[in-house]
Amino acid sequence: MNTRPFLGWFVSPAGLVAVALVAAMLAVFQYSVRAYIPGSLEVSEFTWQNFAAMLRPLYALAFWNTVLLCFETAVFTLILAYPLAYALVRTNSSALRSFILIVSVTPLFLGEVVRTYSWMIVLGNNGFLNTLLLKLGLLDRPVQMMFTAGGVVAALVHVTMPIMVIMLAAALSHIDRNYEKAAESLGAGPVRVFLTITLPLSMPGIVAGFSTAFAWTFSAFATPQLIGGGRVSTVSTLIYQLGFSSFNFPFAASLSIIGLALSLAVVALLKKAASPLERMAATT
Amino acid sequence: MLMRTNQMAANTSVAGSDKARPAVQLDGVTKRFGDSIALHEAWLKIGSSEFMTLLGPSGCGKTTLLNLVAGFLEADGGEIFIEGALVTETPPHMREIGIVFQNYALFPHMSVAKNVAYGLKTRGVDKKEMARRVDDALALVKLTGFSDRKPRQLSGGQQQRVALARALVIKPKVLLLDEPFSALDKNLRGSMQVELKQIQRELGVTTIFVTHDQGEALSMSDRIAVMSAGRIRQIAAPDDIYRRPADRFVASFVGDANVLNGRLVERSGDAAVVSIGDVRASVPAASIAEVSIGGSVDVFVRPEHLSVTSRGASGSLPGTVTTQVFQGGHVDLYIDAPGSARDHILLRSPGIAALSSCPVGAEIGLSIGSDDIVAFPPGEAP
Amino acid sequence: MKRSPGALLLRWSGRILVAAVLLFVLLPGIVVAISAFNDRAILVFPPQSWSLRWFWRAFSYPDFAKGFWNGLTVTVWASSIALVVGSAFAFAIHRYKFALRNLLEGILLSPLIIPHYTIGLGVLILASQTNVGRGLPLVIFAHVVMVLPFVMRSTYISLENLDIRLELAASSLGATPLRILFTVTIPLLIPGLLSGWLFAAILSFNEFTATLFVSSHATQTLPVAMYNYVREFADPTLAALSVIYIVVTATLLTIANSFLGLGKILNVDAH
Repeated sequence: MNTRPFLGWFVSPAGLVAVALVAAMLAVFQYSVRAYIPGSLEVSEFTWQNFAAMLRPLYALAFWNTVLLCFETAVFTLILAYPLAYALVRTNSSALRSFILIVSVTPLFLGEVVRTYSWMIVLGNNGFLNTLLLKLGLLDRPVQMMFTAGGVVAALVHVTMPIMVIMLAAALSHIDRNYEKAAESLGAGPVRVFLTITLPLSMPGIVAGFSTAFAWTFSAFATPQLIGGGRVSTVSTLIYQLGFSSFNFPFAASLSIIGLALSLAVVALLKKAASPLERMAATT
Repeated sequence: MLMRTNQMAANTSVAGSDKARPAVQLDGVTKRFGDSIALHEAWLKIGSSEFMTLLGPSGCGKTTLLNLVAGFLEADGGEIFIEGALVTETPPHMREIGIVFQNYALFPHMSVAKNVAYGLKTRGVDKKEMARRVDDALALVKLTGFSDRKPRQLSGGQQQRVALARALVIKPKVLLLDEPFSALDKNLRGSMQVELKQIQRELGVTTIFVTHDQGEALSMSDRIAVMSAGRIRQIAAPDDIYRRPADRFVASFVGDANVLNGRLVERSGDAAVVSIGDVRASVPAASIAEVSIGGSVDVFVRPEHLSVTSRGASGSLPGTVTTQVFQGGHVDLYIDAPGSARDHILLRSPGIAALSSCPVGAEIGLSIGSDDIVAFPPGEAP
Repeated sequence: MKRSPGALLLRWSGRILVAAVLLFVLLPGIVVAISAFNDRAILVFPPQSWSLRWFWRAFSYPDFAKGFWNGLTVTVWASSIALVVGSAFAFAIHRYKFALRNLLEGILLSPLIIPHYTIGLGVLILASQTNVGRGLPLVIFAHVVMVLPFVMRSTYISLENLDIRLELAASSLGATPLRILFTVTIPLLIPGLLSGWLFAAILSFNEFTATLFVSSHATQTLPVAMYNYVREFADPTLAALSVIYIVVTATLLTIANSFLGLGKILNVDAH
């Protein structure tokens, strides 16, 4: 008797996809160690030159900027998303629940371009914020918000909010309310209950949300490109410039290899930091 | 009418306590969820050191009542007092209560010692005293040496002991127990019940215990409040509840009861005489005050108050054995007695003699022991 | 419950905080909606005069129409292929141990972490090395890779919640494995499969970064067409298109919420 019916049928297609994906990643690897022939998609001999070039300040700075940008985005997203997720899980009003859910989840399905474009209108020199602040008399002349790192972070926070809210809400909704009731019965007021019970128990969601926000931001291209307007250079905007303006695909490939390694390292680091917490939560 | 009896029951003096001020008092407390009434004007006084059980099926309002005392729910009407102080609007963390939840709710990210110390920390107890009191509490529940374990490393019984220690270490004014035994297996449950009762008596802590298990309620409580459909049906000592149930619901929910078709024969003072076929029995008159002489009544008889005699013996009802169930210490006989009862009659025969003397199909007589029989006006549902 | 001034303060500052965050989330959408009706070609705030002409331009601009149909084609194919491939594989890893199981699983889940530009670049280089043209199939392949983890996850969760005894019962009644699959397993998995497909489709339709690398002018999807537009023109056409986008998405989600319970799909319902 076949104890594993359909095994071959079910695994083979996925195997094919996996092989193709590995081949694509290997192609990137292979390009990253090849010399660049200007103006051509063809590549020439083996070289470490691409990786060596990355030590130049321009590129090293781009990496540092990207990590910083991702970190800032993840922190601000966490701070803003937590109250929303908490309200979503804990409100008694089903209308408010649905409203928060729809409002916070809709942007997830809008794509980066639409959301980035809306932020361009908000942040522009003649845009919404500047006009509002001028009308209110809080400013004398428009403040430059487009093409700044701050503008990019604001838009990226907006882009990563929904996934953070969902992950935090999932973690919060799995916390047994009796823990909080028990703490209250033992004399803890609302603030103490939150700090000693709710917050630590939602840690798996915080870590998952934080690392996802980090990875998404690392991968984001449209936002830094359009809002940064070339003045905020990140790994993704560099890769695109190298690939499509100078057709230096080998160098773009080596950049994306380092980008991949960096984001894997960060996610692994966060996972490691979180694992004791997750083991703990798994038993609740 | 029902409300008035509750009020009367609540206001009669508390057994075993002559203190004037009750530890917990509910004055007409009502709780609604939307249109449904979860608790309807509950009147209850619980004496200091008393073990009071709230007994009833799920959805009867017993957990609602517990949550109202704890402060997790807000009453829609009435007042709650703990040790004489009005607490109806006091938030839970100011009420000084200890709770053991059904799933224990031990904080999974804290060690056993930290769990027990939590309530002391919120009270700002200094380190030395905290350590001492945590040790004492763990010793009380026989868990000395488990301080550094995490809750997940403990068995169900041990988790329950920690939960108890955590609730008791703050010297609560009231200890609330929300079905604490339901997650334990049967053997452990029995020994934990004995231990909990010992600790409770030793410390003299006022306790409210919620359960749907009548066995637990009868064996542990000083008094029981039987609840159904958001109302307290009867408040009395366990033996009173069992022997003199106040209404049909209590009679059928607590213990097994056979409902026999009877007729009211006469009434004299507190007692009345009813007839079931040719058999006569004495019952309390109060519960059938509205029935006129000659009117039909439902007579509730416990299985152990029935016995087998020969068919046709005087003062017996005719019946036929339909099923025998061997229960170890006794034998359950299911008897068909058309005319005397709508359903099969359950008879509990001690020992194993009935296995051979009353085979299936045997035509027998049923006699009724004279004590502890109650009658209510006829009705379908309890 | 009687509230102390401190508790009241806490409660109200919480409410104000939530309202402020909601405003932050809603703000760009509101601003875009207002801009879309601006009559002038240059975006100024607030608009001086009103018009619907940008909506007409959004509908008539050929790249958008083409991008929409390309996007729809890619989305339907990619999410359907991912559904079949991903749920079959999720079934296999849920039920069986087999050679390379963990390796395959790791590879197929990796697009969750690999930056999309790396995926786009890899697929582009692979295509040029193997002389595969930059047609729609290439875009579809890249999308399958990227949405596969989501389909796998949603099928896997549904399988976890499936009572295996139902299959054992069917088996004891004489059903063959194939019959069990089609009469018991798949019908019970349908809600999970459907929500996995929907999620994949929405992500695919909106995917931008990798698509930018693998598509050509002929195969560009709507987000790519929009990106190219915003680099060339500053008029509010894109605002009009964004409004349509937001309205359609919010409507679909509201419907999904009332019929399916979004909270349940996203696993954020309280327990």
